[in-house]
Amino acid sequence: MLQVEDLGKEFAGVGSARIAAVRDVALSVPEGRLLTLLGPSGCGKTTTLRCIAGLERPDRGRIVLGGRVVFDSETGVFVPPAERGIGMVFQSYAIWPHMSVFENVAFPLRVSRLHRYSRSDIAQRVKTALETVRLGGFEERRATQLSGGQQQRLALARGLVAEPRLILLDEPLSNLDAKLREQMRFELKRLQMKLDLTAVYVTHDQAEALALSDEIAVFNQGHIVQRGTPLEIYRHPNSEFVADFIGSTNFLRGTVRKAAAVGAVGEVETQQGVFATTFAAPLTAGARAIVSIRPEDIGLAADGEGVPGTVGARVFLGEVIDYLIAVKGQELRVRHRARREYDYPVGASVVLSLPPERAMTMIDEAAS
Amino acid sequence: MASAGSLSRIPLRSVLFDWLQPWRLLLAGCVLLAAWLVFVPLAALFYTAFAEDTPFGPGAATLGNFIDAYVENHIPLLLYNSAVFAVGTAVMTLLLGALVAWVVERTDAPLRELFHTLALLSFALPGLLTTMAWMLILSPNIGWLNGALRSLFGLSAAPFNIYSMPGMIWALSTHYFPLAYLLMGPAFRVLDIRMEEAAIIAGARTWQVAARVTFPLLRPAILSTVLLLFVRGLESFEVPRLIGVPAHIHVFTSEIQNATRDSPPHFGIAAALGMTLLVVCVAGVYLYRRATAHAEAFATVTGKGYMPTPQRLGVWRWPVALLTTLLFVIALGLPLFTLAWQSLFHNATAPSVAALPMMSADSYRYIFGYPIFLSAVRNSVVLGAMAATVVVALTFVMAWIAQRAAKRYGWILDSLAFIPIAIPSVIVGASILFAYLIIPIPVYNTIWILLIAYVTMYLPYGMRFASGGMVQIHRELEEVAEVAGASPLQIFRRVLLPLLAPVLVAGWLYVFVLAVRELAASIFLSGPGTFVLGPLTLTMWEEGGSYGAVCAMGIVQIVPLVAIVMVMRRLEERVGVGR
Repeated sequence: MLQVEDLGKEFAGVGSARIAAVRDVALSVPEGRLLTLLGPSGCGKTTTLRCIAGLERPDRGRIVLGGRVVFDSETGVFVPPAERGIGMVFQSYAIWPHMSVFENVAFPLRVSRLHRYSRSDIAQRVKTALETVRLGGFEERRATQLSGGQQQRLALARGLVAEPRLILLDEPLSNLDAKLREQMRFELKRLQMKLDLTAVYVTHDQAEALALSDEIAVFNQGHIVQRGTPLEIYRHPNSEFVADFIGSTNFLRGTVRKAAAVGAVGEVETQQGVFATTFAAPLTAGARAIVSIRPEDIGLAADGEGVPGTVGARVFLGEVIDYLIAVKGQELRVRHRARREYDYPVGASVVLSLPPERAMTMIDEAAS
Repeated sequence: MASAGSLSRIPLRSVLFDWLQPWRLLLAGCVLLAAWLVFVPLAALFYTAFAEDTPFGPGAATLGNFIDAYVENHIPLLLYNSAVFAVGTAVMTLLLGALVAWVVERTDAPLRELFHTLALLSFALPGLLTTMAWMLILSPNIGWLNGALRSLFGLSAAPFNIYSMPGMIWALSTHYFPLAYLLMGPAFRVLDIRMEEAAIIAGARTWQVAARVTFPLLRPAILSTVLLLFVRGLESFEVPRLIGVPAHIHVFTSEIQNATRDSPPHFGIAAALGMTLLVVCVAGVYLYRRATAHAEAFATVTGKGYMPTPQRLGVWRWPVALLTTLLFVIALGLPLFTLAWQSLFHNATAPSVAALPMMSADSYRYIFGYPIFLSAVRNSVVLGAMAATVVVALTFVMAWIAQRAAKRYGWILDSLAFIPIAIPSVIVGASILFAYLIIPIPVYNTIWILLIAYVTMYLPYGMRFASGGMVQIHRELEEVAEVAGASPLQIFRRVLLPLLAPVLVAGWLYVFVLAVRELAASIFLSGPGTFVLGPLTLTMWEEGGSYGAVCAMGIVQIVPLVAIVMVMRRLEERVGVGR
């Protein structure tokens, strides 16, 4: 449905300097799928989204939407946003305060250049859209009388009402409080599945990305550093940045003792010992490397084989317990299910084990 | 460069087509119009100043005008008078304005809302009328307060003389101090009382808090207000013209008009004096801009979760409120009462019970049967409405371009619209007169030349409303309409216009009020067939013979102005304009 190739966009910096906001971005979203652009603020994810919408004109690249080229720097094609047939939900919701709920939703139908909608058609479609987001009966309210969550759903209804080929969502949940955000996450997923929406979703919240996406593109400093399903990204981060940005993790620094192909198991020597790990990046023997292992993947036992350590701190979180375990030269975070037989007090001696398929070895960016 | 490379690959035809869209042409037209309005008069002023004055218009290049102006018009004395007048006014208005700003914004004194309304109201009054009123109160001969004090204390001479420098400063300050309040109010309001509380907790005494915390935080606001008031004092025309001329206290503005009234008129000298005044005013406004830019950097006085907490005055609540009320009674009530009273008598009449039986509405009957007055009312109202409409439309488009379409070049439009702030109205009037005597566009001696002057002068105010309103509208409100498929015109009409409507209406009313009460520029441009209220009132005052008729004309102007101020006050509450 959507293909983006070699996208590049620069902004004017200080003086005559140009700052690359986005470079070499390539994406594709099949019909009915939701792609998330995930990254810290200023990483270029919103600029990419605005380029897809046509609100920014890229400097380079090609954007194809539903088989139609809407931007191509080679041929000079630029289809204005109004003619791209997309829906968009903004971070601020951008609900027009001078219009009623009905008029807000009806607006895209009234101004559409792709179709002419009759009066009864508009009424019917607005009603359906509002019911879809569970705002039925709110038609005559003033938009400003709605709560934050309702405004968010109104923005969504407005984005969906014209049945766009593609819907773009720019941090749509970030202005909601935590509980509502979680609830809306399910709501969005349900809607996307039910309506078979093709969507591009921008967020800096990794939990949101993992929960909603069919595919995630992780952005850093203007380009995509990794693309994959939520599970791939979480289980097999390909870089220190991705491992650190998504979920929490432990890093062990060391050198490659036995090299392996990407995805295969090799050996890394660290201060804490030699570990068999899965290689996430191409590394040769002797190269500086970093091993990432998530707190919940570290095995914890009272004795047996592995790395000896001491419980430094223990935090009870309900269904899980977080430990800080002091091992040689550093502290590791370990998360375990809260069960009586595995509860270790502060000061207890324990043994840690790192399963090779969960320990990921990647390039040590600080060293290179 | 990469962007230049990609641009060159776009076919020229599509670029041209892009630029020839009607709304883009409209934008270009607005920019050109604004540039014409601002630069043509300035060019004419410059040209006239450096060209020989001949009966057939400007002649050969010369410096003679400057020599004549500087020698014959005693430039040192003019500079001295103008400076004393402007500095005196700035200091006096600052003190009065700061008092009101403190009471309204920083205390829990009662009647604060009323004071704000009264400040807006006295600012809306025509300076011509308040000046006349002060002459009727404090003239040594006909001033009724002088008369009353003389008979009360058996004085041989009048205790006050309006025909003096202090008299001029008093007449202008009582009119301008609400402006000082309006300028300083926001700074007083956003000052976080917690900063003062922190000083108190640290052990500072009240005066130490004021000297070391409050005043330094307010200094940028105070400094910029003083500068602007100083420039306003230099630019002011009504007081120098009405009081200064008979008192032989000449300043630049009155002298410029005087030179054009000579026969034959000395346009060259007027232009040379105008250039000199312009340089001083531009310098003043430049410093003002720098001071306010600095004030933005002080914006740290606000913070998250900040709530203004008024100073509790305790038992002083009512005394402070009464003192402020007294200030308004004297500065606003006295002139208004005098005008109203005098409008009921033919000759100068002091307010007294004895005079009550002679009261009559003859003056009102007279002016409503006076065709020149009626046509001046019509001209002023029509011109005011046209000027307000043009200014609001033009600045709306300019603000939109500056903030949305061509953000990178926005500063050009902002400066373009801001320039007229630095040009005294007298100079706008004179230069437009020069310009359209030279340029063969037949607007001279028509109402169109007045319209040109008003639009030029009020561009900055229109821009302030339009861009202030536009800033408050989140860009995404337009973008979502664009994505939904709306054309630029549809976005203008269905999203921007309704959202901005209250601001634009407020701006329209503001410009309308300024235009209707205008005198300094109109006096150069209005002729026998195109009389407007300002010049007509002045002529009637000086030659008409009946104080009653002039005051009746004043009251007839003031009543609708009061109504308009009330509407603006309502809008202000709704959209936060001006405050």
